[in-house]
Amino acid sequence: MTPPAAENAQVAQSPERGIDRVAAFGAAVAVVACLLLPLTVFRANRIVAGSPHTALSAGPAGWILLAVCVAALAVAALARPSVRGRVLPLSAAALTVALAWALGRAAVTLRAGQPVISRVSIGAGAWLVAAGCTVLWFASRSYDGAASFRRAAAGLAAAGFAGAALIGGLGQLSIVTEYGDRTAEFWAAVGTHLTLAGGSLALAVLIGVPLGVLSLRVRWLRTTTLGVVGLIQTVPSLALLGLLVFPLAALGLPGIGPLPGVIALTLYALLPIVRNTYVGLSGVDPAIVDAGRGMGMSGSQLLLRVEAPLALPLVIEGVRSAAVLVIGIAAVVAFVGVGTLGVLVFEGWGVQADDLILLGAVPMVVMAVVADAGLRALARAATSPGIR
Amino acid sequence: MKRRRTGLAAVAAAAVAFAYLVSRQDWWAAALTRLFPTLTQAVFPSATVADLVTQHLQIVLISSAITLLVGLPLGVWVTRPSGRAFRELVAASVDFGQTFPPVAVLALMMPLLGLGTSPAIVALSLYGLFPVVSNTVAGIEAVSPSVLDAATGMGMGKWRILFTVEFPLAARVIMAGIRTSVIINIGTATVAAATGAGGLGSPIYSGINLQNGAWVLEGAVAAALLAMVADSVLAQVERAVAPTA
Amino acid sequence: MIRLENVMKRYGETTAVRGLSLEVAAGEICVLIGPSGCGKTTTLRMINRLIEPTSGRIVVDGHDVTEQSPELLRRGLGYVIQSVGLFPHLTVADNIVTVPRLLGWDRGRMDARATELLALVGLDPREYADKYPRQLSGGEAQRVGVARALAADPPVLLMDEPFGAVDPLTRERLQAEFARIQRELHKTVVFVTHDVDEAIRLADRIAVMRDGQLQQYDTPEQILDHPANKFVHDFMGADRALKRLGRVRVDAVIRADVPVLSANRTADAIAERAACSESRFVYLVDADHRLEGWFDCRALANGASPESAITTVDWREVAVRPDTSLKEALSRMLGLGFRSISVVDGTGVLLGIVGLADIEETMTDSDAHIASVPGGLGGAGEAEA
Repeated sequence: MTPPAAENAQVAQSPERGIDRVAAFGAAVAVVACLLLPLTVFRANRIVAGSPHTALSAGPAGWILLAVCVAALAVAALARPSVRGRVLPLSAAALTVALAWALGRAAVTLRAGQPVISRVSIGAGAWLVAAGCTVLWFASRSYDGAASFRRAAAGLAAAGFAGAALIGGLGQLSIVTEYGDRTAEFWAAVGTHLTLAGGSLALAVLIGVPLGVLSLRVRWLRTTTLGVVGLIQTVPSLALLGLLVFPLAALGLPGIGPLPGVIALTLYALLPIVRNTYVGLSGVDPAIVDAGRGMGMSGSQLLLRVEAPLALPLVIEGVRSAAVLVIGIAAVVAFVGVGTLGVLVFEGWGVQADDLILLGAVPMVVMAVVADAGLRALARAATSPGIR
Repeated sequence: MKRRRTGLAAVAAAAVAFAYLVSRQDWWAAALTRLFPTLTQAVFPSATVADLVTQHLQIVLISSAITLLVGLPLGVWVTRPSGRAFRELVAASVDFGQTFPPVAVLALMMPLLGLGTSPAIVALSLYGLFPVVSNTVAGIEAVSPSVLDAATGMGMGKWRILFTVEFPLAARVIMAGIRTSVIINIGTATVAAATGAGGLGSPIYSGINLQNGAWVLEGAVAAALLAMVADSVLAQVERAVAPTA
Repeated sequence: MIRLENVMKRYGETTAVRGLSLEVAAGEICVLIGPSGCGKTTTLRMINRLIEPTSGRIVVDGHDVTEQSPELLRRGLGYVIQSVGLFPHLTVADNIVTVPRLLGWDRGRMDARATELLALVGLDPREYADKYPRQLSGGEAQRVGVARALAADPPVLLMDEPFGAVDPLTRERLQAEFARIQRELHKTVVFVTHDVDEAIRLADRIAVMRDGQLQQYDTPEQILDHPANKFVHDFMGADRALKRLGRVRVDAVIRADVPVLSANRTADAIAERAACSESRFVYLVDADHRLEGWFDCRALANGASPESAITTVDWREVAVRPDTSLKEALSRMLGLGFRSISVVDGTGVLLGIVGLADIEETMTDSDAHIASVPGGLGGAGEAEA
């Protein structure tokens, strides 16, 4: 969503007066989560039901966490606006560090005297405190002139988090244990996931961009292509994988394994790529095309020198949507016997091993977010300053 | 106008045909038995196709209803003066949320809420929220300021403006968001069968696990048809609510 | 230079251009004019083969246009359109050298050419070369459009309502400058417009078209004085005498011997100057001869104080340039309520004045004046950018 500029300016100024409602909201979420929701969950082993523990049961570190949350709320509500822009990022950093330490201390305390197979996993409260902390950080960005404070705070948070990981007992958390138990399997899954998603995406670009270009010139191709890929897009991924089994079997090809996976992912990735290529090219002002032709550009020169540079940002935007889509659906492909991160998630569902589920889901999210941010940056870089 | 009516009629006919097809369990049995003569059990035994579709729709409708009840007011609120401070936060969260893989959202709900239908509904409602909020905000903000100015100038109150000016003008964009949301939900609900949520994913999973291709086909065909019919119905609704040019 | 022989263009049932024959001599501006849908743009676009004629022959510089590929043909014909069509992702300089790049010039030569052309169309190369099209005003964009068409120095320019999308004042400047550039470069120009005044001002010959057929092809004077039929007569409009003024530049009738007063502005000096002045107004100029105002000798004689007889002005608002058409000058005079108007160069230096009487004389004796101004807009006086 692109905000209209005029209104945006007003929003940016609103924290200057009185209470910063966005930051206060973030801090309040953190306070409530600290008090009411489990910071951690203790289980005797990796698959039995657990017992929830709030932050306050984690000893002094838990109390410190609550104190930091309350302090952040006070900053959001009471600090002078001029001071707030500097204190908010520091509060967010303090909250990050306090949360990491509280989690680590809780893990150490709860597991003390318990068997090695006992687990302490991250509870809903901790996730919400983290979310509240992110909101605080987000709110701090609307203050001008505190960029250096934000940089310093980010450094502080990173250092504090590293400290908690090294000496604070963060490594005692169950997800780390789970990772330690399955390191090889985890990295294999990450590799397969990336290969499958990346390969399908590359294939979709190789097919989709030419299809989009041709769609511009050939009318029937446009209606057919956009109709077919649009239809495929609505079909649930699991159903498409199921449906692919039969035509593949009829061709004597395996209906299970990487082949149906690649086919399905490529088909899903086609829609955003073909559509954006077509929309990008057809959106070029006809006067520009006329001028180019009138100056003696051939069809391919016009495409390469004029139409492609103008459409490129939109094409990359399509690749971005496709990448995010494909990384998500690659998880489902685990069902037809491809060892993506989905395998960890579905195995976790099967035996109700929450840590295993997280071990599969978290890197998936990270991949999607990184791909999203990376391709956004690429689209920006590929946009000529003349059309930015 | 005429065109719109024939479109609606065609889509209604498709929906009715789908419902009838789903109700004829005997057709499914006959077709699957013919396609898979070697299997002793060619039809998914635990539930009829009609039951599976009903379960599936139930999950999708409940979660979509929750999505609308939360998403529309949230989207409207951040475009009002009272909620404008949260506009950027909501926009950024929605953008961020849309990059989350649906499976990951389902997966992250499990440790918090456990297995079964309700966690799936919560996950689906949450994931469906993103396109609805995003399009509500975009649709309302696309209403031209001069139209709002004229409405205010004619003495309309802000609620009246919202319901008689902003909503009708934004209807098509909002409806497109709802359509995206529902179609994603139908797809994600299929995957959610693995968490014990039921629905059309169940025969596909069981079929894969027990190497019964007939069940896979049964679930896949029904799910694909359901999604396509739902999409074309919602596409017609989208067209119908668009302000006539 | 350009010859159309019985050219015809049909789209299914409708005929856009029927049996058009036309010859444009080298170095001349041929303006195609007519109501919308008359086939003028189709005709233009058939010359560079953006539209292929159904039948007939088009010859440019002795060669049938179908002899070479459309792309090669077009690189030799400059092309300017109303919507300009600058490439938004390229800088102004890169836009200008589009055709040279297609022709494979080296970088240095292209840079030099861009600089040269920006200066030619009156844009400071240092300021404009690295701008992007969206940073330009409509008038600036159109200047760049003209520069781009001229980049590879094509002998022929095809212009499709090039000044149609800018405000009237900008259009006036652009027309004047185009006339100046044409005097320098002597291109063969085919120029499409629906603006009769623009046609009269710029054309060496006007081709009036209607429903795909040529109604009359002649000099502006002939078309104004001897319209071939009622359509041409009506299309050119009733105010023919006034229109003719569009053909004459201010510098053709300028009075350069105006009384001026430079530095000394004491009451005595003014009174003394007024006493020996034959005309009613004495013009005030600064040390560089830039127009600053005037004083009214008659008011002074009637006993007004020197201060109240002085009018101080901004030359940008009350003066015209030597290359302004008399029609424009007259309209400015009427707008300002003056009986005469001062003429300045681009920096405000007073060159003379033009009076209502001088214009009246031109209207009654227009042929003599036009004859004295070759090409309608030729003659002395360098226009300013």
